[in-house]
Amino acid sequence: MKGPIISGAIILAGMFIFLKFLLPLVTAPLPASLIYLYLALVLSGILIYGTMSASSLEAMMGPVFRFLSGKGQTGASQMARLAVLVMFPLLVGWQTYSRLVPSDLPPAENRTIHPAPPGEFVGLANPYPKTPENIMMGKGLYAAYCSPCHGANYDGKGPAAPGFNPPPANFSDPGTIAQLQEAYLFWRIKKGGVGLPVEGMPWKSAMPRWEEELPEEFIWKIIMGEYDGAHQTPRTWEEEE
Amino acid sequence: MLNGLGNLRTLSLVGLFGVLGFSSAFANEPPASEEPGSVSVRLYQFEGSLPSEDPNSSQWDSVPSSEFNLAPQVHWPPRIQEVTVKSVKVKGVHNGQEMAILVEYADPTEDAADAAALEFMVGDNPAHFAHGQEMLQVEGGPVNIWYWKNESGKAVDMSAKGFKTLETQPHQDIQAKGVWENGIWKVVFSRLLKTEDDQDVQVEEGEWKNVAFAFWDGAVVDGLVKEKGGQKAVSTWWYIRAEPSADNSIFGWVILGLVLATAFELVIVRKLRKGQAV
Repeated sequence: MKGPIISGAIILAGMFIFLKFLLPLVTAPLPASLIYLYLALVLSGILIYGTMSASSLEAMMGPVFRFLSGKGQTGASQMARLAVLVMFPLLVGWQTYSRLVPSDLPPAENRTIHPAPPGEFVGLANPYPKTPENIMMGKGLYAAYCSPCHGANYDGKGPAAPGFNPPPANFSDPGTIAQLQEAYLFWRIKKGGVGLPVEGMPWKSAMPRWEEELPEEFIWKIIMGEYDGAHQTPRTWEEEE
Repeated sequence: MLNGLGNLRTLSLVGLFGVLGFSSAFANEPPASEEPGSVSVRLYQFEGSLPSEDPNSSQWDSVPSSEFNLAPQVHWPPRIQEVTVKSVKVKGVHNGQEMAILVEYADPTEDAADAAALEFMVGDNPAHFAHGQEMLQVEGGPVNIWYWKNESGKAVDMSAKGFKTLETQPHQDIQAKGVWENGIWKVVFSRLLKTEDDQDVQVEEGEWKNVAFAFWDGAVVDGLVKEKGGQKAVSTWWYIRAEPSADNSIFGWVILGLVLATAFELVIVRKLRKGQAV
C-alpha cells in the first residue's frame, strides 16, 4: 500500500540530488528557485499519475488519510501522527514570522555591470594601428591614469581599489574586457561612471569621466595597452556573427 | 475507496502541505555576498539621552561598529594618490528623536586642519557620491554634507548638487565633537532624526539611506597642508538605517496563523474520521 508514496519520495529525492549536485558537474549550478520549480513540476507529475484512477488514488493517498485520521493507531505511529499535527501549525507560524519580521539586510542591488552603450558608441573601431609604439604609449598612459585603481597588473587591485564599492574592473578576468569590443571600452573610459544608465548605478561609480582630461587619441591607445597588458583580445564583430 | 469531490479537496490540502514544506526550505536563501567588510551602519535604539557630546562615553562601548575601507580621492582633479586614513569604524545610536554617529579612525598626528565629513543622499533621486555631481543618463539629487574641522571645533551643515556647488546651509542643524588621543580620532556627529529643512537628509526609523565618508589629514608637510579640498580619503555609498521600534503586531499575525492552521487540521481530521474523504 505504501508503494506509490515511497516511490514518489525516491523520485523527488533523486531529482533533487541530480539537479543540485550532479548537474553542476557538467554545467553551471542552477539557481535554487529553478530547482524548486522543477521539483514542483515533478511533484505535480507524481500527483497526476497517482490520481489517474480510483485504485491508484487509493494506493497513493489511502495510507496518508488513514495515518491522519488516526483510526486504530498505536505506539510509534500514534506518536508520529501527533508530531505531524503539532508540526504543521508551528510551520505555518514560523513561515508567517519569517515573512513579516523586518530584515536587517540592506536592499538587494541588481547592478548591471556591462549595460548597453549609447548608440553613438556602437561599432566604433580603434583608428590607431596596433604598433609596438602605440601599445607602449598606451601602457604608459595606463600606468599614469588607470593603474591607481585597476592595478599595475591589470587585475583591479591598485592601491586605491580597496576603498571602492563597486570595485574597479579586473581586466585579466576573462569576464570583463575579453567579452567587450574596443568601442565599449572607449565609451566607458570617455564618459566614466557618470555616463552609465540607471541599471549601472552611476551614483556609486568612481570611474572618472576622462573626456574632460584626456584627448581621444590617448583613450584609444590606453585601450590597446590595456588589452595587451591584460593578455586579452577584444571581442570583434566577426565572432558575433 | 476514495470518493469524488471529497478526495479532490483533501488531496489539494495535502498538496498545499507539501508545497508549504517545500517553500520553507527554499524561501530564505541568504543573499550572495563576496564583499569583505561592512555594507551598512546600524543606528541602534537607545532609551533616554545619547552620548552625543562625548566620543569617549562608556555608552559607546556596548554599540557594535561597522568598518569601511577608504580610498584616495582619484575620481576628479585635484587627485591624491596616497592618504593617511585607510579605514573608518562607525557606530550609531538613536532614541526616536535624535541620532548620534561616531566615526573612529587612525591619524598619527593631531593637526588644526584635520577634518571629517559624512555625506547623505537627500530626496528620492539618487545622488552621485562625489558631491552629487551631474550624471549623464540619470536625473540625480542633492547631497547633505556634515563637515567637522578640528580648528573650528564644530560641524557645518552643508549642501551640494554638483562640483563647485558646495555651500553652507542657511539653517544649521548639526553638532559635532572630536577628541584625538594616541593617534586615534573619535568624532561624534549628532542631529535630530528629522528636521524642518528640506536641504537635510530626513531619517525615518526602519528606512535605508545612503551614507559616504571623507577624511582629511591636516598635517603640514613642507609648509603645505597634506590633504585639503578634493584631496582626501573617501568612500563611495554605503547603507545606513535607524533601527525600527519592535513591531508587536507580528506576533498577532503569527498567533492567527497558528490558530487557522490548527482549525484547518481539526476539520480535515474530523472529515477523515467520519469517512467523508476515505
